[in-house]
Amino acid sequence: MLNTRTALTPSLIAIVGFMTVCPVVMLLFGSFSEGIGAFGTFTLKKYIQSYTDPEFASIIFNTVIFTIGSAFVATLLALFLAYLNTRTNIPFKFLFRIISIIPMMIPHILFSVSWVLLLNPSNGLINLFLRQILSLENSPFNIYSLGGMILVEGLLDLPIAYLILAPAMAAFDVSLEESSKVSGASNLRTLTRVTLPVLRPAILASFILVIVRSLASFAVPSIIGMPGRIYVLATHIYRIIATGFAADFGMAAAVGMSALAASITLIYLYRYLTSESEKYVTISSRGYRPALIELKNAKYPLFGIVALLSFVLILLPVLVLFYTSLVPYSMVPSAKAFSMMNGKHWLAVLKDPISLLSLKNSVFLGIVGASLGVILSIFVSYVIVKVRTPAAGVLESLSFLSFSFPGIVIGVGFMWFFVRTPLYATIWSLLIGYIATYLPYGIRPLTSAFIQIHSHLEESSRVCGGGTFYTLRRIVIPLLIPGVVSGWILMATMFVRELTLSVVLSRPGTEVLAVQILRFAEDGLWGKLSALGIMMIFISSTLVVIASLIGIKLTNVEEESR
Amino acid sequence: MEIRINSVSKDFFSEGKKIKALSNVDLTIPANQIFTLLGPSGCGKTTLLRCVVGLETPDSGEITIGEEIVWSKEKNIFVPPEKRGLSMVFQTYAIWPHMTVFDNVAYPLQTRKEAKDEIRAKVDKTLRFVQLEGFENRPATKLSGGQQQRVALARALVPEPKVILFDEPLSNLDAKLREETRKELRSFLNELKITAVYVTHDRIEALSLSDTIAVMMDGRLVEIGTPKKIYFDSDHRFVADFIGQANLINGKVVAIEDSYTIVDSSIGTIACQKGPDTLVGNGVTLCIRPEFIKVIEGDGSGGSNIFRGRVESLLFVGDAYEGEIIVADTRLIVRIEPTAIVEEGDEIALSFDPDHCFVLSK
Repeated sequence: MLNTRTALTPSLIAIVGFMTVCPVVMLLFGSFSEGIGAFGTFTLKKYIQSYTDPEFASIIFNTVIFTIGSAFVATLLALFLAYLNTRTNIPFKFLFRIISIIPMMIPHILFSVSWVLLLNPSNGLINLFLRQILSLENSPFNIYSLGGMILVEGLLDLPIAYLILAPAMAAFDVSLEESSKVSGASNLRTLTRVTLPVLRPAILASFILVIVRSLASFAVPSIIGMPGRIYVLATHIYRIIATGFAADFGMAAAVGMSALAASITLIYLYRYLTSESEKYVTISSRGYRPALIELKNAKYPLFGIVALLSFVLILLPVLVLFYTSLVPYSMVPSAKAFSMMNGKHWLAVLKDPISLLSLKNSVFLGIVGASLGVILSIFVSYVIVKVRTPAAGVLESLSFLSFSFPGIVIGVGFMWFFVRTPLYATIWSLLIGYIATYLPYGIRPLTSAFIQIHSHLEESSRVCGGGTFYTLRRIVIPLLIPGVVSGWILMATMFVRELTLSVVLSRPGTEVLAVQILRFAEDGLWGKLSALGIMMIFISSTLVVIASLIGIKLTNVEEESR
Repeated sequence: MEIRINSVSKDFFSEGKKIKALSNVDLTIPANQIFTLLGPSGCGKTTLLRCVVGLETPDSGEITIGEEIVWSKEKNIFVPPEKRGLSMVFQTYAIWPHMTVFDNVAYPLQTRKEAKDEIRAKVDKTLRFVQLEGFENRPATKLSGGQQQRVALARALVPEPKVILFDEPLSNLDAKLREETRKELRSFLNELKITAVYVTHDRIEALSLSDTIAVMMDGRLVEIGTPKKIYFDSDHRFVADFIGQANLINGKVVAIEDSYTIVDSSIGTIACQKGPDTLVGNGVTLCIRPEFIKVIEGDGSGGSNIFRGRVESLLFVGDAYEGEIIVADTRLIVRIEPTAIVEEGDEIALSFDPDHCFVLSK
């Protein structure tokens, strides 16, 4: 290993650096170019054109309201849930684990679509239902609004906010509150003067992270915002390159630069806040668990809210999609609706050549992309954990680079690059883009796996008589398998559902599932969309199951071989 | 099997600075002994052990195990660790977390492709020996620290090696368990009659386990001897101080008598053991252990090796008082019987047997 090690780090820096720095650099150059055909001649024209657009101010306004609103919704809900889970005796605590993980498995585009199907003004199921029973003229709700966007994005980002706030809440030293109460402060005063201020860095961190995520979000703005003509930065960029007569990648790059700048600022703020929150770590002797707050009468009403949230976050989207895929047109569930159910939309999708192509492409990208991505992640994680030179630190920062930026902006950057290569409009351009952007999903589980393999575990095998390859086969690889499997699963599910990069990079012939679903949504083909969406969920779940089974099989080989 | 280490050196580079981990170490570890490498952290003891086992390569020198040269810079020989036929117990135990206890212990036999029923028989026998019967199918991670330690020992014993190496194997156990395991290990090793090389920084471990102790400092070998020789009659100031609490007193030899050497020191005239190569007029350092200094009744005038001092501090530690006594501006540490009637500030008389006071020649 010693000799290869020296060559490994620079070559990985070259590969990963190219994949992640290239789109950012190309975006920068592209923004100063006339157009995709005239790369390199410096001009400020695209900046002037895009930032003097009278509509631009309203786009910025929408973006600010949308991101901050989503951050409020997600953080407040997460605080509520985290408090209930860590500090009270609310029943069925396993629901909180489910809430914090499962919604990440449902593709954002399908989650958004399901809310459109429920709350759109012309035939949203809830609207239809309320109009029927209350005999209203107009629909009471309109999802195609900033409020609708904020609600859905807030729910989508709830898990990430929860994952930041719940540990902070659990690590909170209750004696701080107790000493406040002993000093004579009321419960409310303790909450406002002690609890919330101590948790402030975590709350702000969650808030900022949700802003970063919603700034990068494309599913909600495209599915919910665009039909209501509410444009944010991401959809504005999309409109510049994907609609109208001429795609203007120069202008897209110029607009993208401000999204990029905003992300960088926010990420710095986030880093600062998380390092700040470490200062708030209180020294306390663990092992003493405070008594949980007895909820008494509020116990079941509060649990009802949690149960409702779980239902809305997990079951409802899938049920709505499944229902819509089977009924001929939008109607409130009834005996009549159930009698009219058929497989028409499913058959139509299975006969649609573009849908079939997108299925094929997404499965290919999922399997091949995740496999290549995991192989790269193995090497990168090895260097990050085991080599640990300053160069390894550079590699680590590089591999997380493009993940931090809005996908559509990275997509535009990649477009500037790919158009100059034979990779343009091939499935490989998508594959490279996916791996570059989602590399952290592979690296995270694999670095933890490598950290687990203490050098003594390998050395001990050598002393026991195992040669290099024997040690690799019986010690190193089996210990890596859990990391490889979770890395693969994370990457494969992200790739099967990928939307934001794909809307830029996908061309005729390289359609993928999420882009095809977006097309169906733009055309209002909800039945076909739902059928294809269910297929997408099915494919993701199948890949997860197969990967887990292979993982279990590979780990068990160890026991059989004795 | 005997291990011979001939002028082995190794340098490390850390932040651009060269650190001599081993400088010209010459050492013969006799067969079938428990041999301990003792020293403070960073003295090179672990590096030396890792060179013997083959996990590090020295920069120069030669290492021979039994009749086989396993490392020689000059002859360009390097036998990889898996071919050296040694066993090792790691500080972290290095128990493989993805395997059961059985698989961990069977591993060295599996690498040699032994027959399955033979492996089972040997593993069963070894697990019985380390008192882990019935744990075969337990995942190795579901064991306590002490049990993991015994799995590591079983794995080292199962191939019936001629040499077994220990790298601070007890340092991850809590104090009480460490004491028990030390006794167990001693009886295991006595029963087995194999060469054991044991690395530790814990002097109690070294004294209680070893047949021979080699004390190391700054990559060099300082002194080799039996535990009693090292404790009672070391030649080196560093060793005397490292192996236990010591009062080190500087003085000058004024006379050499039939049975004792007479030294004029900062606390007065001392009769002590005869040291090798000491001449009248030499400056010397004397060592006297706190437990050999006795508090005597009265003012003790008239006897030899009797000193008067004031009790500076008195610390009750259960089985004794740990007292600091100021004798003519020199501070002596004395272990005083817990029943003695002394108080801080008292003037007392101390005495010790000349046989218990020895000259440090280096």
